[in-house]
Amino acid sequence: MRRLAALLAALLLLTGCGGWDENGWDAFIPAEEERLVIYTSHPASVYDPIVKEFEERTGVWVLVETGGSGELLDRLEAEKDAPRCDLLFGGGGDSLTAQKELFAPYVSPLAEEIIPDFLCGDGSWTPFSSLPVVLIYNPVLVRTNPPEGWESLLDPVWRGRIALADPAVSGLSFTAVSTLLQVLPGDGTLEAFHRNLDGRTLSGLSEVVDEVADAVAEGSCTIGITAESAALEAIQAGRDVALVYPREGTSAAADGMAVISGCAHEENARRFIDFALGGDVQRHLIRTCQRRSVRRELYSPELEPETDGLVLIDYDLEKAAGMRDWLLSVWQSLEEEP
Amino acid sequence: MRAWIRRSFRNRVFVTMLLGTLAVLLLCGGLMMWFQVARSEASLAREAGQQLTELEQALDAFQSDCRRMLQEMAESTVVHSALRRGGGNSRTLYQVLFRTTEHLRDYARFDVYDSRGQCRYTTAASAGRELDTGWGLLRAAGETGDTVFRTGTDGGLTAALAVRDFSGAVQGYVTATVEQGGFERLFGGLYTTTSEVLLLDGVWRAAYYSRPAQTDATVKALRDQLLDGRPLTGQEGEYRFFALKQRDGELTLLLQQPRAFSSLVLGAIYLAGGLMGALCLALSLLCAWVLSRHLSQPVHQLDEAMGEVEKGNFDVHLETGRADELGRLASSFNRMTEEYRLNLERSVQRQKELNEAKLRMMQAQLNPHFLYNTLDAVKWLGVTHQVPQVAGLATDLAAILRASISGDELVTLERELELVERYVDIQSIRFADRFACEIDVADRYQSCLVPKLALQPLVENAILHGVADKDDGYVKVWAEEKDGDLLLYVSDNGRGIPQEILDRLNSEDQELPGGHLGLGNVDSIIRLYFGPGYGLTAQAGPDGGSRVELRLPVRRKEGDGAEGFDC
Repeated sequence: MRRLAALLAALLLLTGCGGWDENGWDAFIPAEEERLVIYTSHPASVYDPIVKEFEERTGVWVLVETGGSGELLDRLEAEKDAPRCDLLFGGGGDSLTAQKELFAPYVSPLAEEIIPDFLCGDGSWTPFSSLPVVLIYNPVLVRTNPPEGWESLLDPVWRGRIALADPAVSGLSFTAVSTLLQVLPGDGTLEAFHRNLDGRTLSGLSEVVDEVADAVAEGSCTIGITAESAALEAIQAGRDVALVYPREGTSAAADGMAVISGCAHEENARRFIDFALGGDVQRHLIRTCQRRSVRRELYSPELEPETDGLVLIDYDLEKAAGMRDWLLSVWQSLEEEP
Repeated sequence: MRAWIRRSFRNRVFVTMLLGTLAVLLLCGGLMMWFQVARSEASLAREAGQQLTELEQALDAFQSDCRRMLQEMAESTVVHSALRRGGGNSRTLYQVLFRTTEHLRDYARFDVYDSRGQCRYTTAASAGRELDTGWGLLRAAGETGDTVFRTGTDGGLTAALAVRDFSGAVQGYVTATVEQGGFERLFGGLYTTTSEVLLLDGVWRAAYYSRPAQTDATVKALRDQLLDGRPLTGQEGEYRFFALKQRDGELTLLLQQPRAFSSLVLGAIYLAGGLMGALCLALSLLCAWVLSRHLSQPVHQLDEAMGEVEKGNFDVHLETGRADELGRLASSFNRMTEEYRLNLERSVQRQKELNEAKLRMMQAQLNPHFLYNTLDAVKWLGVTHQVPQVAGLATDLAAILRASISGDELVTLERELELVERYVDIQSIRFADRFACEIDVADRYQSCLVPKLALQPLVENAILHGVADKDDGYVKVWAEEKDGDLLLYVSDNGRGIPQEILDRLNSEDQELPGGHLGLGNVDSIIRLYFGPGYGLTAQAGPDGGSRVELRLPVRRKEGDGAEGFDC
C-alpha cells in the first residue's frame, strides 16, 4: 500500500500536478475592501468613464450591472435581505424617494457644495446630475406644427406616434409622466395620455443608446419624451432629432445615487459618492455627457448646454414619490385594458 | 448473485479472476489516460510560463524605453520653448520628436499636449485631439513627476509625463500611445499562434487583446470570474489562462491557451476510454472464463469422481497429466479408491472363506456320528466276544467323542469330571495302571459351569508330559472357592514343566512349543469366555511335578437338573 502511494506520488510529480494551478489566482483576486458593486441605469457612455476614473484613482475593483432604474429597484427589493449591490447609481429622485427604505442614508461632506433644491432631505440618496425632461421630434417627419408642450401629448394628432419608455422600468419615464400630471392636473389626463400612446411603450431596457431618441430618429415614432442629455447627444451625433423644451415648463429633477442598506462594501460606496459629487466628475459630465451638474459653481448658464426656452416648474418630488405606486398600478391597469 | 458465486468453486474463481483482471486493466487504462492528459496540460503550462516571461521582458523593455524617451523630450529645451511660445518653431520640434522617438515609433504614437490639454504636436498622421487635464491620463501625469501608464477607454496603453518649467508648474505633457497594431508588433513572435495575449491594468481593464473584436466580452467574463473566485475560462469556457503580474508595474499579462483537450477531444478520449473499458470487460470475461475452467476442471472431476465413489462405483479413475498439487491430489484419490476397492475385495474373500469353513465344519460334524456308531459296534463286539477292556475303551471313547462334538459350549463340572474319568480310564489301560488319578471335588461345585473339555487337556498334559514314564504316577484334581472365584487344580508328581514353558504360560503367551498346545488353548478359551481376569496359571508342585490352576467365575446351571448328552 505504501509502495502504491509512493508510485502515485511519483506520477503526480512527473506530470506536474502538484502545481496544477501554478498561477495562484488567489494572488490576483482583490480583497473585499477593494471591491464595489454598482447597479446602474446610466448608459455605458456615462458610467464607464466615471467608473474607470474611480478605479484608477482608488484601485477599487468595480463590478457594474446595468438595467432600467425601475427594474434595478425591483432587484434591490428582491435582494434586500442579502444585498449583492453596494450602490445604486442612477434613477430619478422621485423613484429613489419612493423606495428609500432600501438605502442607508449618507450625507456626503461635499453636500454643502450642492444646490440645496436637489438634495434629499434625509440623505437617503444623493443627487448626481440634473435631468430636465424634454420633448423631441423628428424634424424630417414633422415639418410643420411641431409639439410645443405637455398639451401636445394629449393631442390626437400624435396618437400612436409618441415614443415613451415603460415608466415601470425607466425612472425618467416615470418622472416624465409625473411631470405631465403636475403640469396638467386633471382627472382625465393620465387616461387621455395613455390613450394617445395607443398601447405603445418602449421597453426601457436598452443600455447603449436612448431608446426614445433612437425610435424618433429612426422614424418609428415621430415625437418622444426623454431626457435633455439624451436628446442633445442624439443631436450632436447628427441624427434626425429636434429638441423642444415644453412651453408650460418642465421638471429638472436630479437622478441620484444611494448606498444600499446592509451592503458589503459601504465604505467604497461612500467613496464613490464623494468622487461622483466632486468637481472632476461634474465637469466631466458637462463636457462629455451633455448633463447638468448639481454643483453650485457649475450650475451657471454659461456652462449649461443650449438652454433656449427652458422653463422649470416647481416639481414636487415628494408628491411624485408618494404617488409612484398608485401611478404605476393605474398605468398597469390601463395597459391591461383591451 | 452471492449465492451463485458461492455455489461452485468455478464461479468463485471466475468472479475473482474477472474482478482482478478488470481492476488492473481499468486502473492501468485510467491512469494512462489521466497521465497523458495531465502531462500535456503540464507541458503547455510550462510553455505558457516561458512565453509569459518573454512577453514581460518585451513589455518591461518597452516601458523603460518609453520612460527614457518621454523624459528626454520633457527635458528638451526645444519642447519647452515650443510649449512656452505656443505655436513656435514646429519644424525643429518635429525634428526633435522624430529623432528622439525613432526606435519606438514602430510601436507607439508620440504626442505633445499643452497645459490646457490641446494636442500640439503628434507623430501620427491625423491631427491630435483635446484631452481634459482634470480627468484621466493628463490629470494623473500632472499629479506626479513620473511617467504614468493608463489604459484607454477603447484599449491601448498611453504613457504620459508632465513637462514642467523651473518652478515645477506644468507647461504641457508628452505622451506615448500604443494601439492594437503597436502591441501586435511588440509581442509578435513571442507566443505560439494558437495562444492569445491580454494586457490588463491594475483593475483588469484591457490595454491589448490579440483578438480585438472580443476584447470587451472576454475581459468582462474574466473580471467576473476573478471577482467571483471561479476558475478563469474566458467567455467561451474552452481556454486556460495563465497570468503574470509585472514585478515593478501595475500591468498584468494573461496568456490565453486553448485547452490541450477541448471538450470535443476530451469527449472523444472518454468515448475511446469507454470503448477500451468495454473491450477490457470482454477480454476479462473471456480470460476469466477460460482460466476458471482450466483451474476448476480437476476439482470438478474430483468432485464428480467422489460422487461416483459415494454411489458405490469404485472403478472410477481420474486421468490427469498434471504434476502439480491437483495432479497429486488426483493420483492420491486414485490410490485411495484402489486401496478401498482391494480392501473390500479382501473382506469379501474372507467372508467367503469363513462361509466355506463353516460348511466344512458342518460336514466334519457328520463323521463323528459315524465314528460313534462304529465305536458302539466295537463295544458290542467286545461284549459279545467277552473282551471287557475293548468294550470299556469303546464306551469311554464314544462318550468323549460325543462330548467333543456336542453343541454346548459350557457344561457342568460334574459332566466335565465324568469325561476326565473316562479319559483316565482309557489312559489307565494304555499305561497299565502305572499312575493313579484322584478327583476330589466337593458336591457344591458339581453344578458349576465350565467350558467344555477345559479340564481334560490339563489331565492329559499331566499324564502324557508328567507321569508317563513313572511307575507310581499320581494325578490329583480338586476344586476350591476363593474370592468368589472357582479354582480348579490339576497337580502331578511327574517331571514337572520346564521353567521357560512355565514363564510363557504365565505371561499369557499364546505360542507354546509342541505338546503344551492344549494348555494354551484352554487358557485362551477361558479368557475369551470370562475376560482377562481369568485363565490358567502353572507352577512347579511343592514336592516336584507341577500344579496347574484354572480360575473361573462361579456360575451355576439354571434348573439344577441332570443334563444328558445329545444324540
